[in-house]
Parts: sequence; structure tokens; C-alpha cells
Amino acid sequence: MNYQVPNMLFALPEMVMLAMACVVLLFVAFTGNRKIQWSYGLSQLSLFAVLMTVIFSWGDTGTTFSATYIKDSLSDILKIAICLINMCVLLYSVEYLRARQLLQGEFYVLALFATLGMLIMVSANHFLTLYLGLELLSLCLYAMVAMHRDSVIATEAAMKYFILGAIASGMLLYGMSIIYGITGSLMLQEVAAAVYSSSSSDTILSFALVFIIIGIGFKFGAVPFHMWLPDVYHGAPTAITLFIAAAPKVAAFALLIRLLVDGLIDLQTYWQPMLMLMAVLSMIIGNVVAIAQTNIKRMLAYSTISHVGFLLMGVLSGTDAGYAASLFYTLIYALMTLATFGVILLMSRYGFEADNIDDYKGLSSQHPWLALLMMILMFSMAGIPPLAGFYAKLGVIKAVVDVDMMAVALIAVVMSVIGAFYYLRVIKVMYFDKTEEKCEFTYSGPAAFVLSINTLLVLALGIFPGLLMSICSTVFS
Amino acid sequence: MNLLAFNLPLVALIPFLGAPIAAWAARFNRLASAWVAGIVTFLSLLILMPVVHIPFDNDTLIQSWSWLPALGLDFAFRLDGLSLLFSFLILLIGLLVILYARYYLSPQDSMGRFFAYMLMFMGSMLGIVLSENLIQLVIFWELTSLTSFLLISYWQYSQDARDGARMALTITGAGGLAMLAGVLMIGNIVGSFNLTDVLASGDLIRQNEHYLTVLVLILLGVFTKSAQFPFHFWLPHAMAAPTPVSAYLHSATMVKAGIFVLARLFPVLSGTEAWGWLVGGAGMITMVLGAYTALFKHDLKGLLAYSTISHLGLITLLFGFSTKLAAVAAIFHIINHATFKASLFMVAGIIDHECGTRDMRKVNGLLKYMPHTAVLAMIAASAMAGVPLLNGFLSKEMFFQQSLVATDHHPLSWAIPIIVTFGAVFSVAYSLRFIHDVFFNGEPQGLTKTPHEPPRFMRIPVDILVLLCLGVGMVPVLIVAPILTVAVAASLQGVPPDYSLAIWHGFNLPLLMSSIALVFGAIVYFYREKLFRWHDENLPRVDAKTLFNRVTHGLLVLSGKISRLFDRGSLQNAISWVLLSGVAATLYGFLQFDSPLFGDRTLLDANLLTMVQVGILIVASILTAVMHHKRLVALIIIGVIGLIVSLGFVKFSAPDLALTQLSVEVVTIVLLLLALFFLPQHSPQERSHKRLTRDLVLSVSAGVTVMLLAMAVMTRDYSSISGFFLENSKPGGGGTNVVNVILVDFRGFDTLGEIVVLALAGLGIFALLENLRLPAPLRDIDGREWSHDPHPPIMQTLTRLLFPLMLMVAVFIFMRGHNLPGGGFIAGLIAAVALISQYLANGIAWTNARIKVDMHKVIAIGLTAAFVTGFAAMFLSYPFLTTTFTYLKWPIVGKFEIASAMIFDLGVFLVVVGATVLILVELGKLSHASHSLAQQEKK
Repeated sequence: MNYQVPNMLFALPEMVMLAMACVVLLFVAFTGNRKIQWSYGLSQLSLFAVLMTVIFSWGDTGTTFSATYIKDSLSDILKIAICLINMCVLLYSVEYLRARQLLQGEFYVLALFATLGMLIMVSANHFLTLYLGLELLSLCLYAMVAMHRDSVIATEAAMKYFILGAIASGMLLYGMSIIYGITGSLMLQEVAAAVYSSSSSDTILSFALVFIIIGIGFKFGAVPFHMWLPDVYHGAPTAITLFIAAAPKVAAFALLIRLLVDGLIDLQTYWQPMLMLMAVLSMIIGNVVAIAQTNIKRMLAYSTISHVGFLLMGVLSGTDAGYAASLFYTLIYALMTLATFGVILLMSRYGFEADNIDDYKGLSSQHPWLALLMMILMFSMAGIPPLAGFYAKLGVIKAVVDVDMMAVALIAVVMSVIGAFYYLRVIKVMYFDKTEEKCEFTYSGPAAFVLSINTLLVLALGIFPGLLMSICSTVFS
Repeated sequence: MNLLAFNLPLVALIPFLGAPIAAWAARFNRLASAWVAGIVTFLSLLILMPVVHIPFDNDTLIQSWSWLPALGLDFAFRLDGLSLLFSFLILLIGLLVILYARYYLSPQDSMGRFFAYMLMFMGSMLGIVLSENLIQLVIFWELTSLTSFLLISYWQYSQDARDGARMALTITGAGGLAMLAGVLMIGNIVGSFNLTDVLASGDLIRQNEHYLTVLVLILLGVFTKSAQFPFHFWLPHAMAAPTPVSAYLHSATMVKAGIFVLARLFPVLSGTEAWGWLVGGAGMITMVLGAYTALFKHDLKGLLAYSTISHLGLITLLFGFSTKLAAVAAIFHIINHATFKASLFMVAGIIDHECGTRDMRKVNGLLKYMPHTAVLAMIAASAMAGVPLLNGFLSKEMFFQQSLVATDHHPLSWAIPIIVTFGAVFSVAYSLRFIHDVFFNGEPQGLTKTPHEPPRFMRIPVDILVLLCLGVGMVPVLIVAPILTVAVAASLQGVPPDYSLAIWHGFNLPLLMSSIALVFGAIVYFYREKLFRWHDENLPRVDAKTLFNRVTHGLLVLSGKISRLFDRGSLQNAISWVLLSGVAATLYGFLQFDSPLFGDRTLLDANLLTMVQVGILIVASILTAVMHHKRLVALIIIGVIGLIVSLGFVKFSAPDLALTQLSVEVVTIVLLLLALFFLPQHSPQERSHKRLTRDLVLSVSAGVTVMLLAMAVMTRDYSSISGFFLENSKPGGGGTNVVNVILVDFRGFDTLGEIVVLALAGLGIFALLENLRLPAPLRDIDGREWSHDPHPPIMQTLTRLLFPLMLMVAVFIFMRGHNLPGGGFIAGLIAAVALISQYLANGIAWTNARIKVDMHKVIAIGLTAAFVTGFAAMFLSYPFLTTTFTYLKWPIVGKFEIASAMIFDLGVFLVVVGATVLILVELGKLSHASHSLAQQEKK
């Protein structure tokens, strides 16, 4: 049999990640939690190394491992985002985890393997490769949610997450298997070609599509597959919530694009209405239910659901501009979520979770800078100009308007209005409500510094969104 | 660098830059920030000056930079007559308000914050009026909502201020988003967001099928901002702001932003019936309602607030007429309203400042305490009422004139002049009340301090504004005509119509209407006491604030309801939603398409044996579901299912699979039994019939769906790769058992990965269980103690006898694996079962004493063997895991094939044995330990 050595360079980031994850695993195995700072440093170093490999190979494109693996501009930009986001996540989480005796080596090992899963998802050019990355990611996430073993709510959340996740993965796999049964291939391009040429078996293909979309919808947390999201966000330790909320959504975007756009673009007439339904429902349920939440993590969970609805809008438009708008939305969403949870993490301290919206009472008078950062973030999430969140919303709404889906655009607008309501409540609580008890905590050090930069980036991207947006456009042109 | 190339953006952005400076300056001196604000405003004005001539030359200045080409968003500014007029209003009145505020604010108020907000607001307003790009306009529009929120809530300690600010932000911000949607649609229709293109595409937009949607969306923005009915209610509540803020926001700026957009998009959207009804209707209702309500407000600022609403309604109504002359009148009234209303607000502020209250039932007879202010106020109020020789009169005459002319165009036709006059009557009445109640009408009542004239510089802004009222009223041609002409030209995007600014037009209908308004206004005011009483007794008090609160509260309740529907934290609920959606989507797809679901591949015939198998499977599955409360029974039935499945494999000529399934089944059942020990013996009963039905329906439909889909795929022709393996198994891998050859040869790498996972799983479970101590239940569910004799002698003896036999079978299966059903994996499972039966029957201690093999080592050796086979090939410069085979002659057996894959298979065998035994023995130890733990506790 002929045997060719695959071009490993295209998968260099993943290899570095794998190697470094194993190094950290061994290091943790042999040192336990005694040298946890070292584990932390090594993990950051790993992410940084991966980041560098991506940056230095920027622009090279190609496939490897018998074309099951692809490196293109989409994968590059998403990988950079994933690495940067996770570096911030690790940085923000240290103090929080330390205060709860959760700062264990397992956290870093799981985080790195989860990152590896994301990288694989982003670069997959084959249904099974995608699935492989997705499962690697998901399994790590299940374990991370359950890491706080003494917390009833966390273990319950992990259990639900696992069972629902398993069902969704099963459905995704089932859809893939039907696709394989019909097209005889699992390679994205071959499937696309087969779908293009076959029109007779539309019905069955559309069924496969249903299952694939359920899988995607679940990973994103789009209504009606969102059930796990509030419980997991709420139940997991905040640092883990942050990890789940930020980078995996970026990876899920890759899943969406690779499966639906790269693989099944000719079924667009079928997936468009499905995505539309999910988008509209997500925006409505997410925004309306968020209003009633008193727990900020739960509120952000529903806010995530509504953001997912917005994000899907760009993709369902089926245009390059729409995909680019969705990519932009995803990145901005990740940036905002990162900073918002960063603030929550900074405010949580030993024996105190800044979980309830009421915990933010009077923040403005005691920690004006933190309150200002949070205000910027809330305004941005609400989509108020001139913050980054506005351009994100603008882009996706424009995408659906351009394909004459006025009704969807209108619902999106109405829902952003309702959405503004609960974000404003946080601001109101921070600035207008007074509290007697003094929230005694100090924040300093690199985490606060990076958090400030992170938030100011939301502002800066609001004033100069052009660069990032043009990058997003070039990815899809 | 030529400043003139980018001075327009500078005009709008300088206030933003000035804002932090103003805030910072307040640290040193509270007056310094007022100075900064004044200077910044002046600077803006100065930068605007060099291009002021352009609109007067009938030209439009556009300064544009590409910003977000992906979204069609340019950073673009535009200066034409309309922008110029508004810029002047914003900057000049801004200057006056800053001067006024410097005296108005008390030493406790933070000057820095006030002027910083003020400047930011000013910048946002300038941004709106100078924008060339519509999206950019919306951005600045939302910024005005935000900054006005900050300004209104300036006195944060006051509940009213906070509520008012929130309401204003909610309403205007929401309207802004609606306008954004409208603007996006305009962009979609025209293909550009630039005003130059948009203004030239009026017909295109009006004829578009989405015109009505666009119009409604834009008007939502306009009406919320300009406080038009039914969104007018936020404005009176915004009066909780400091008076300079009211003077600025509610005369010349914030509320005029909506009117500005009306004027801006007039050539694009106006002229249709829908425009007439919507704009005219809202304007008319607002005008009358505002004028009427204003009369009954005892609070000075409340009166002015409703008067503002009424005048905004008047302007909106004028635009609603859609005629060119009406537009002239509207723009003229914008100027006039800005001047007299700003001065009136300032007067109200002065009175509040000097008297400590704004209640007109207390504030009376101020003429003798502050004569100068009183005169100014009277002139301004007369202008508001439309008294001749003042500016308000001129625009009101034009308004009356238009209301008569509009009869031809407007659907409301004949009623208009009457309604309009009715509104004007009340306008006169409340103006009269402002004058008479405050400055005459006896002595002030219950004031805490004696009122006197304000500081001179606080009055100067009022002086200037009132002078303007007079000037415009008497010599309009000199003062206002040039700017009015260019503003109208810009708004209409054409030549302004002929109109006359003369004070005297002779006796005509408009004059009659004016006179009626003045006379009846006076009469209404004269009978005000009766009217107040009638109003209080007969009209229900509708406070929009409670309505607003009720709506927001309703939203909260709705949200709670939806939460309870979806977010119950119940896993079953979540799963059922996921399944339901899946089934629903599939069903939809099924109904949607008419192409056949099934292919034309023929199915195999069903014979009796198969039917029996399937029947048992179905019965067993149903029994599992029914019996699941008794977990032990359910587990045994699951075992039956496994056995039938393995029979199924036999039926379809897959003996390998059957063997594997059989051994795996045994091992998993043992594993589950061991785990079951620690769990409750019964699972909870579902009592609710509803839920049972739901689950039944859901599971049946999900099952049917899956079946149909499986059928759909199976009835289609497919090309299988099995042919390749069948052909190459013997020549390529040296074995006739294709399954085994695939495992150890073709897909050897996969198998290697799998056994690594298996080994890791074994080690992982070992690590997890090693030091775990779980308390076991002392008694079973019926209260019986567990048997103390877990190792019955007969079973012990039997298993000991069987042990060598089972191992023989394992070896046999292993050896023949390459050619006949069998192989390392199955053999490993059989050997593991043999070992486990010893542990089960004889106890862990007994067995461990006799089998002194460390299962960790077995796993390690197995993995090593597998890897070595792989690397050996590499040493012989073949790719990893290449296998070879040869034939040996054995004494009794005869010719025997030996393949290097066999060593690999041995590795598989060892890992399977090691991992399986390790896991099960650890679980066994756990239950054993927990037994003794329980026994100890009992003692």
C-alpha cells in the first residue's frame, strides 16, 4: 500500500497543543498541587506557543491527513481567538479557583484538552474529524462542570449537561451517518458535491439535516435545545462558566460553518427556515426570560441564548456578508462575555459569590472603575452605540434585511429593545441602588489590568470596528 | 493640513473631547468646568464658521471617509441649510444654557459631571444634524438617548429623576432601534445609506412594497423622541431634571431631533396617504391633547412640558400636511419654539430658584418682586400664545393658513381648521395662566423665602432669547429669512416656495382663527376654576407612569411564566423538549416533501426464526420499560435483549460479532450488578398519568421516526467497502476471518488506539475506586439482611472445575481467530469472564491468593506487545503496524499460519483481560469493603 507522510505543518498548532497538554498532564501527575503556579504558567505558555504557531503560519492554506484536515483563513482567525480567549480565561480564573480550593492541576489539563478539541473542530474538513473535536471538547467540559464535587448544584448541572449533551451528540452522529448512507462520503467537499448532484433523495437528506442541526443547536444553546445552558451556567463554578461561555462558542461557529456552509450549502433552502426558527425562538425566549432572572449568571445564560439567536441570523442569510457578520458577532460576543465574567470573577471572593444582581448594589460608589467597565459591557451587550455590540447586531440585522427577511429583522430589533431592559437593570443596580454593607474586596494585578484592556477593547472596537470587520469579510470572500 | 477638509466631524467631536476636560477641570475649581464647557462650545461654533457660507450659496458640503465598507457605513458629514439651522440652534442655545446653568447649579451639585454630560449630549445632537450617513445618524441618535439619560438622572438621589431618566431612555432608546431597522430597510431599497443618494430616491422608496413598514419604523423613532402621542408620556417625567437640562433638551435639542428627521426625510417619505394619516394624525392628537393637559398642570414645568408636547404636535401636523408651504411653516415654528420655550424654561428655573417651588397655586404676584424677569416671561409666553408682533404669531398664522389649504390634500379635511383652533384656544389659555397666575393673581402663598431678581448673568440668556422673539416677530425678513430659506431648501431638496413673512396679511381666515383663539382662550382661562373642578371630577386620571410601570411589570410576569414553562430544571422536561423538537422537525420534513421516503432496494424475507427473535426483542424492551422500578429485574431483562441481539448477529452470519456481543453482555451485566448494589433498589414511581402519556407518545414517535429513517437509508442502494476487505483479507492480511484481519491489520491503528483507551479506562476506574469507601445499605428494600454466605460451595466447586476449561476455550478462540470466528478481543473477554467467575464464586481473597498476577502488569505487557509489533515493522522500514505472515507445520495440527499480527492480537487479548478484570475486581472490592464497613457500624 502506498503510504504518504501527511504534511504535519498544517496541523502544527494542534500538535503543539497535544504535546503541551501531555506535558502539563505529566507535570501535574508528578507534582500534584504543590507547584500549581507552574502548571498555570505552563498552560499559559502552551496557549501562547499555539498562538505563535498560528500567527507565524498565517496565510498558508491547505489540507492534510488525506484532506480530513484543513487550514484556511477561517481556521486561523478562529484559532487565534480561541487561544487569546482561553489565555484570558485562565488568567481571570486563578484567584477565584484558589479561594475555593479548586485550583487543581486537573483544571489546566482539562482546559488544554478542551482547547485541543476546539482547535480540531475549527480545522476539521471531515464530518468525523469535526465530531472528534466536538466530543473531545464536550467531554472535557462535562468534567470541568463537575469539578466542584462537593457542590450539589454543580454536580447536578454536570449530570444534566452530560445526558443532554450525549443525546445531542448522538443525534449529530445519527445525522452524519444518514449523510454517509446517502452520499457515501464524509468528506465535506465530497458530501457537498454529492448533495449538489443528487436531487432525488432530498427528503432523506433533509432528515439528516434535522439531526445535524439539532446537534449544532445544542452546542450553541439555541432554543429549543437550550435547556442545559442556564443550569450549567448557574451551577458550574464561575470560572468554569466563563470557560464554557467564551471559546466553545467560537468553536461552535466553526461547526456551523463547516457543516452547513462548507458541507451542505446546497441544502440551504432546507436549513435556512430551521435556523430562522431557532434564531427567532432564541431571541424571544432568551430575552424575555432573562428579564425575570435575579441571578446574574442565569441572566447571562439567557442573554447568551439570545446572542446565539442573533449570531444565527447572519448565517441563515446565506450570503458571504452574512457569514462575515456572524463571525464578527461571535468574536465580539466572546470578547464581551469574557470581560463580563471577568468582572464577576473579580468581585467574587472567598466565601462570596457575586451571583445575584443585587450583589452589585452600590458598586459605582465603592469601585467606580469596575462599575464603569461593567456598564460599558452591559451597554455593549444591549447593542447600544458606539460600542462593539452595536456593530455586531447591525451587521447581522443588515444581513437578513439584505435578503429581504424583514420580519426576522423586525423581531431582532424588538428583541434588542427588550434585551436592553435587563442589561439596564444591572446598570441601575450598580449606579442607583445603595447598599449598607460594604463590599470589601480589592482587585489588582494582571487580571484586573487585562480585564480593563479587554473591556476597553469593546469600546475601541465600537469606535473603530473597521479592521476586525474587514478581516471577517476577507475570510468569506 | 487643511482644517476645512475635516471641520464638520470636528464640530461634532470636539464636545466629546471637551467632556472629560470639563469633568477634570471641576477638580480644581467648580466654575472652571463651566468655562471649559463654554469655550468648547464656542470653539465648535468657531470651527463651523468658515463653511457657513456654503449653504447660503445653495451648495451642500459633504466630508466623507470610508469607515466600515462591509456594512456600507461611511464616516460622513453633511452641511446644508437644515443642518446649519439646527447646528446654530444647538450651539447658540447651548451657550446660553451653559451660562445659565453656571448660576443655576448649587454648590452641592457636581459641576464637572453636569458639564461633561452636557457637552456629550451637545456633541451627539450635532452628530445627528450633521450626519450624511443614516446609520451614523442613528448612532448619534442613540447617543443622545444615553446622554439625556445621564442628564435627566443628574440628581441621582431623587427617585423621580431616576424613574424619569429610565423611562426616557427606555422609550427613546427603543424608538431609536426601531428607526435603525427602518434605516436598514431604506439602505436595502436605495442601496446606500448616504443621504445624498437616499434623498434622491424618494419615488423608489415610496413605491417599494415595504414603504409602509419603513415609514412606521422611522416614525416610531421620531414619535418617541419628539414625544408624540402615544409616546408623549416620558417627557413630563423627564422634568425631574435640573431646569437648564429641560431648557436645553425640551426646547432646542432632544425633542427636536425627531422633528429634524421628519424634516430630513420629508422629500423621501412624505406625500403619501399613509404619511398624511400617521404624521398628521399623531401631530393633531398630540397638539390638542398637550394643549388641553397643559392648562391643568399646577407645576410650572409640567405646564411647559405639556406645552412643549403640544407645539411639537403642531410642527408634526404641519409636516403631515405634506405641502411645501407647510414645511416652511414647520421649520419656522421650530426656530420660534426653540427661542420662546428655552426662555420660558429658564424663567421657570429662576422662579424655582428664587421661590423654592414651582407650584402655580403658591407662586403668585411675582411682578413686584422680579419685574424684569416678569416682563421677559410675559413676552415669551405671549409669543407662545401667538400674540401679534411676536415670533409665535407669525408661524401660527402660517400654520392656520396651511390648515385651511390642507383641506384639499388631507383625508381629515374639513375637521382640521376646527380642531386646530380648538387646540389654539387652550394654547392661549395656558399661556395666559402662566402669565396671570405667576406674576399677578395676588400674593405668593406659603413661600419659605422672599423672591427677588436673579443674578444678572443668569438673566442675560433670557434677555437674549426674548429679544430674538421680538426681533423675529417684528422684522422677520431681516433676522430669520435668510437662514429659513436655506433650511427649507435643504429640507425640501428643491427651491423653496414663495412665502411671505409679512406681519400683516390683511383680514383673512387665519387672522380670524387667531382672534378666535385669543378671545376664547381668555374666556376659557376666565372660567378656569370651574373647568379645573370639572376636570378633576369627571376625567379619569391616566398617569402614563403607572401604565408604563404596569407594562414593564407585565413583561416581568410574562417572563416569569415563560421561565416556569421552559426552565424547570427538570432533566426529563429538557430531554422531552429536545426529542419533541426532533420529531416535529422530522415530521415537518416528511410532510413538506413528496419525493419517496423509501428507496427501491428489496428487503429480505421475514422467516419464522427472525419473527420470534424480533418478538422477544420487543417484549423484552417493553418489559424493561415497564419493570424499570425493580432495577434488578430490569437489568436481567436487558441481558435478554443483549442475548437476542447476539443471536441476531448469528442469523446474519456474523459469528465474530455474536461472540463479542455475548461476552460483552456478560461482563456489562456483572459490572452493572456490582454498581447497582450501591444504588436504591427501586427507582421512583411516576404517578402522574399525564407524564406517562407524554413519555409514551414521545418515545413511540421517536422510535417510529428512527425506524422510518433507518428504513429509508437501508432501502437505498449503497456501495459498501466490504468487498475490498473480502478480497484483500487473505492475500493482504493472511487471514480468512475478515473481521479479525480488519481489527489487527487493516485497521490495526484504530485497534491500538482502542486498547490504549481501554487500558486507560481500567486505570482510571482503578484510581477513582482505590480509596473510595461507600456505605452500603444494611438491608434490602424488604428489610432483609444481606446474606452472609456469598460463596455457596456448589458454585465454588463448579467454577473451579470450569476455570481451566474456560481458559482452554479462550486460547482456542484466540488461536483460530485469524481464519475462523474468534480473535484476541473475544478471547480476552472469555478469559476475563473465567477469572471473574472465580472472584465471584470464591471471593476476592481466595482468588487473589491463588492468582498472583498484577493486572496492571498484564495491561502494560499487552500494550507493549501491541506497540512492539508496530515498531518492529518500522525497523524493517515498513510503515508502522505493517504485518506479515508465514506458515508453520505443527506436529498434530498440521499446517498452521502464523502472522505477526498475532502478537498484536495477543496484546489486545492481554489488555482486554487486564482492564476488564481490574475494573470488576475493584468494584467487587468496593462492595466487599462497604459490607465490612456496614458490619462494623452495626457492631
